[in-house]
Amino acid sequence: MISFWDFFTDPVLRAPTWGCILMCFASSLMGVLIFLRKRSLLAETLSHATYPGAVIGVFLFAFLFPAHEEWTFLAVLGGAFISSLLGLKAIEWMEEKGKARSDAALCFVLAVFFGIGIVAASAMQASFPVWQKQVQMLLFGQAATMTDIHILIYGCLAFAAAFFLFLTFRPLQSTLFDRDFALSAGIPVSILDRIVFWLLLISLIVGIRSVGVVLMSGMVIAPAVAARQFSNRLQTIFGLSALFGVLSGFLGNYLSVMGSLALSQSGEKISLSLPTGPMIVLVGTSFAILSLLFAPKRGLAFRIGRILAFRFRCLQENLLKGIWKKGALSFPQIKESYPVFLPVLSWILFRMRQEGWMQKKKGLYELTRDGKQKAASIIRLHRLWELYLTESLGFQVEKVHRTAEEMEHILTPEIEERLTRLLSNPKQDPHQQPIPERYESLLGN
Amino acid sequence: MNPYWGTEFFGFFSVLFQRICKAIFGGVSSLAADELQIAVLATVAISCGLVGPFLVLKRVAMFANSVSHTILLGISLAYLAAASLWGGGMFDMGTLLLGAFIAAGITAFLTEILMRLFRLQEDASVGLVFNALFALGITVVTLFTRDAHLSVEAVMGNADILQVRDLKLSFFLLSLNLGAIVLFFKQFQLASFDRSLAQTLGISCGAFHFLLLFLAAATCVGAFRVVGVLLVLAFLVGPYLIARFFCCRLPWLIFWSCAIGVLISLFGVALSRHFLSAYGWPLSTGGIVVVLLGLAYAGAALVSRRLAAGQRVSLKTTG
Repeated sequence: MISFWDFFTDPVLRAPTWGCILMCFASSLMGVLIFLRKRSLLAETLSHATYPGAVIGVFLFAFLFPAHEEWTFLAVLGGAFISSLLGLKAIEWMEEKGKARSDAALCFVLAVFFGIGIVAASAMQASFPVWQKQVQMLLFGQAATMTDIHILIYGCLAFAAAFFLFLTFRPLQSTLFDRDFALSAGIPVSILDRIVFWLLLISLIVGIRSVGVVLMSGMVIAPAVAARQFSNRLQTIFGLSALFGVLSGFLGNYLSVMGSLALSQSGEKISLSLPTGPMIVLVGTSFAILSLLFAPKRGLAFRIGRILAFRFRCLQENLLKGIWKKGALSFPQIKESYPVFLPVLSWILFRMRQEGWMQKKKGLYELTRDGKQKAASIIRLHRLWELYLTESLGFQVEKVHRTAEEMEHILTPEIEERLTRLLSNPKQDPHQQPIPERYESLLGN
Repeated sequence: MNPYWGTEFFGFFSVLFQRICKAIFGGVSSLAADELQIAVLATVAISCGLVGPFLVLKRVAMFANSVSHTILLGISLAYLAAASLWGGGMFDMGTLLLGAFIAAGITAFLTEILMRLFRLQEDASVGLVFNALFALGITVVTLFTRDAHLSVEAVMGNADILQVRDLKLSFFLLSLNLGAIVLFFKQFQLASFDRSLAQTLGISCGAFHFLLLFLAAATCVGAFRVVGVLLVLAFLVGPYLIARFFCCRLPWLIFWSCAIGVLISLFGVALSRHFLSAYGWPLSTGGIVVVLLGLAYAGAALVSRRLAAGQRVSLKTTG
């Protein structure tokens, strides 16, 4: 049985584990940079653009040093870097001078570079069939066959990228958020831009070995998406993104190894395995989806909760007003004038009795003293707003009710204070209804 | 016996010319493999040339890229479903295409959800969705079909093992695209250039956007089996970008996109045959066509910039 720590120490298992972690670390950091520029899909095109270089690199290596197969990955790294750099140049050129918009340029460069890679790979199959697997595994990635020497090189590259980010953090921050300011402050923006893209390329070529050319961009985008949900501060976003990246790298590899083990013990003849690259991407995407759903403030669940809470309060306040105007209402009457889902209505009535705003007497709902004051303060806001619209903004009297109906739930005590002063503490609204006096002690919120 | 066997680049065209002359007088009974290739590639090129310009104009070219990835999940799940419902390994093309098409729909839907409901920025929504679905697709393929070849083939396609039914499929695709574009040309044009005018005239931009995505998805799905999604991507965008250097009227742009696509596929097949005959390298025909498109773009860019520079010089001397 494999223990948890074996993943970090076992001579066979440790290389894939560390490889995945390092690769995700680098790509998640660089992902933040392009995510904030809204150019995430650049990663997709550039990762595909590494393929022809990698294939041609292997091709040349097989031609020049056929005896040293274990060092092929250096040729892959070099070739991949050069060809993705060419891809980047091609995109920049097409966008500036080639009459192509961003998405068309990305799509076309991706297709053409990948096409070159495929032609080269088919030529390779014909001339060096033994080396074909070196090329094939770059497409979908193969973490399991990495060794310690890979980790050393990849680790150095990943940490070099991270260290550079650390050094240039301040100027990078200004460039990301306010380009004009950065330019006027004398920051070398164009050099920084270049550096950012180079770092992105490095993180991509480190990653294609474990995740593969075709899925690499997923690992660049997902951690950044997840991290952005939690914070507005750049440092925090970088930190969280790296955390999510490292976690998904480790978990993806862990799941792949353990899952394959469980599958091979299930007694099938053909050995099945869970591929590492897709597992990493799936774990990373799950982090992103969970953050999109449940992150505080920006998450969907939180936003929906806020909307529902507001609706609930509006309904409560409308009910208070309704009963205040009529004196008392029975449940059928309430049901008729407030067509809401029945359990919700009962719950609201229950909550209002709990708050001590109303009581039930002989089947009729009546307001308590607290409830009356609360209702009066809402009415006051409503009528103040109506008066403000007619007096100060020149609205017609018939048209102000609807807006006031919404504003009464939103107006804060401070605005009420200012309205009172502006209209010199009025006693009547434009419909000649009395405006209730203000109860200081009850304006809790 | 393939009459193109052993021909080189120019020989290929002379044989093609002779065969066409013979065909006019009824001397050719069936298509040779290379002719079938040309016919299929040209049909796909025209289908793409009709839809591609609108995709580029509406800035949704990356949707085609998304679909080209998520198709894998669709076909692998459809394959699984077909295998478990009707028993071992029945390989029905229709089921797979349907699966791929549903996957394309789901891709568009999820991307919209992420953008609208979760308020995620567009590029990240697109990237997140297709990568996740693609990862799922690869996992399903490696786990259940035990045939990693399927995935490689689906991404790259294989233009070298075509059959007559592939030609039928691509003709169907062509008639679908041609019909939609000819019928609704005005609406598509308005929706891509001036949304507010289109809305004033009572054209629903949303519906035509949806129709465009539908056509793009259908093109990708229909062609993935025939030539591979990569080639479709290149055909959708490349010919339009090349034509854009030389003209700016939409009808001409569409015409030239189709024409350039057809020409490039002709040269691509001839070149592929040339490499096989002259050097014995069986190169991927789809790949060659894509590379040719890239080269054509570079050439067109060079020529048009040279022309523009020449115009500037003559303006300076006369003015």
